[in-house]
Amino acid sequence: MARVITITSGKGGVGKTTTTANLGTALAMHGSRVATIDADIGLRNLDVVMGLENRIVYDLVDVVEGRARLRQALIKDKRLPELYLLPAAQTRDKDAVTAADMINLTNEMRSEFDFILIDCPAGIETGFRNAIAGADEVLIVTTPEVSAVRDADRVVGLVEAAEKGPARLIINRLNQRLVSRGEMLSMDEVVEILAVDPLGVVPEDELIVSTTNRGEAAVFNPSSYAGRAYINIARRLNGENIPIMELTEQTNLMDRLFGGLFGRRART
Amino acid sequence: MQLDEAAAWPALLAAVQVQLEQGGSFFAGSQLTLDIGERVLEEAQLTELLALLEQHGVQLAGLATAAQASRKHARALGLTTRNSPRAGPPAEQVSQSPDDALLVVRTLRSGQVVRHHGHVTIVGDINPGAEVIAGGSVIVWGRLRGLVHAGALGDAKALICALELRPTQLRIAHLIARTPDGGSDLRETRVQPEIARIEQDYISVETWGAPRRTGT
Repeated sequence: MARVITITSGKGGVGKTTTTANLGTALAMHGSRVATIDADIGLRNLDVVMGLENRIVYDLVDVVEGRARLRQALIKDKRLPELYLLPAAQTRDKDAVTAADMINLTNEMRSEFDFILIDCPAGIETGFRNAIAGADEVLIVTTPEVSAVRDADRVVGLVEAAEKGPARLIINRLNQRLVSRGEMLSMDEVVEILAVDPLGVVPEDELIVSTTNRGEAAVFNPSSYAGRAYINIARRLNGENIPIMELTEQTNLMDRLFGGLFGRRART
Repeated sequence: MQLDEAAAWPALLAAVQVQLEQGGSFFAGSQLTLDIGERVLEEAQLTELLALLEQHGVQLAGLATAAQASRKHARALGLTTRNSPRAGPPAEQVSQSPDDALLVVRTLRSGQVVRHHGHVTIVGDINPGAEVIAGGSVIVWGRLRGLVHAGALGDAKALICALELRPTQLRIAHLIARTPDGGSDLRETRVQPEIARIEQDYISVETWGAPRRTGT
């Protein structure tokens, strides 16, 4: 039976789609059967980032409206046989499906997969509510910027109110150089503000730009620090206890979070 | 909100208006239940009342009354009604006792609002984007980083205290204050508990433990 995980953020552009694609790929690489669902109807991007946009015949709205069966709409990934994508529709908008539709859909898919990752649209309206409707767990993606953290805080509150909590946090695009200079919030500061369990930190990585443009997951590239971070996050989702930062002898995550705030050189 | 059963209608309507105006942001966007006890209200009077409330951005959630005629008229206008005989002595004016204090033991996240006519104590943080609007004082055992309006019903003696006072905005009664520009270093500097109160004509913030004036 699948774990249904929605990846959301509130703020746009912080890396939900990139995270969904890379996390899905990493989980599939390690043997899980994974489906990703693009819930951003009208502004779909997950298909592009996964390099599957040419293979779309039917989409989420076709399935919900009965024009296609789920099997017809699911697209197998180019490289991994255990990874599937259910794309969004581009010519409709978020009112095309309801929360009940999403719950029915995820229930129909549960027995077929180990993980179902739902890429949530930006915002807190219908699209967001639909995307979390069927979720067992919610991952919140934020960048270490004040405005993104503000929005993430709002979303944490909404997720708690929808009783989908507790949410877990992925901090994306952390630039350690800027953190050391005091110009960017550190991971500890973000976690302190949001008071949410951190699942992982993904460093700023130029390779993300080219890999997403080419429709390849960064996790395939051993030179990508972001890719390595996503692999670690996938392993943590699977229950492995992987330290977030390779620092001194401290291997206990709690010690590291409360042991001090400044000047850490972080590798993930 | 409880309305006196015996007062003349025009005077009562005027009193409600005063209350709404004084309350300002306290009432804006809120849902109000009106308790009119034994009073009989005609449809025309109810419509007047609804119009007044709407002017101040207040939605009438329901009408509680022991008078069957009032309930009938209210339902004709599509309002929810409740049969509630008023027990005990009638409330003196339109307001409720400001002595009830509310204790909230959690962090308020962005977008969440706590509204209360009396004092409010928060054990937890108020994150930026969250709001507390209170008729009394507001005490925050945590970080105040959002918006707090104390004395929202007009009480200029209301206080705002916090272990860490870094609000987006502070309001006491009719005055508004914001933190000075340029102080936003991302790293947190040493922080102390502080109290904000109105002094003369502005909101003054004192560190807890600094030599205080006697009396208050």
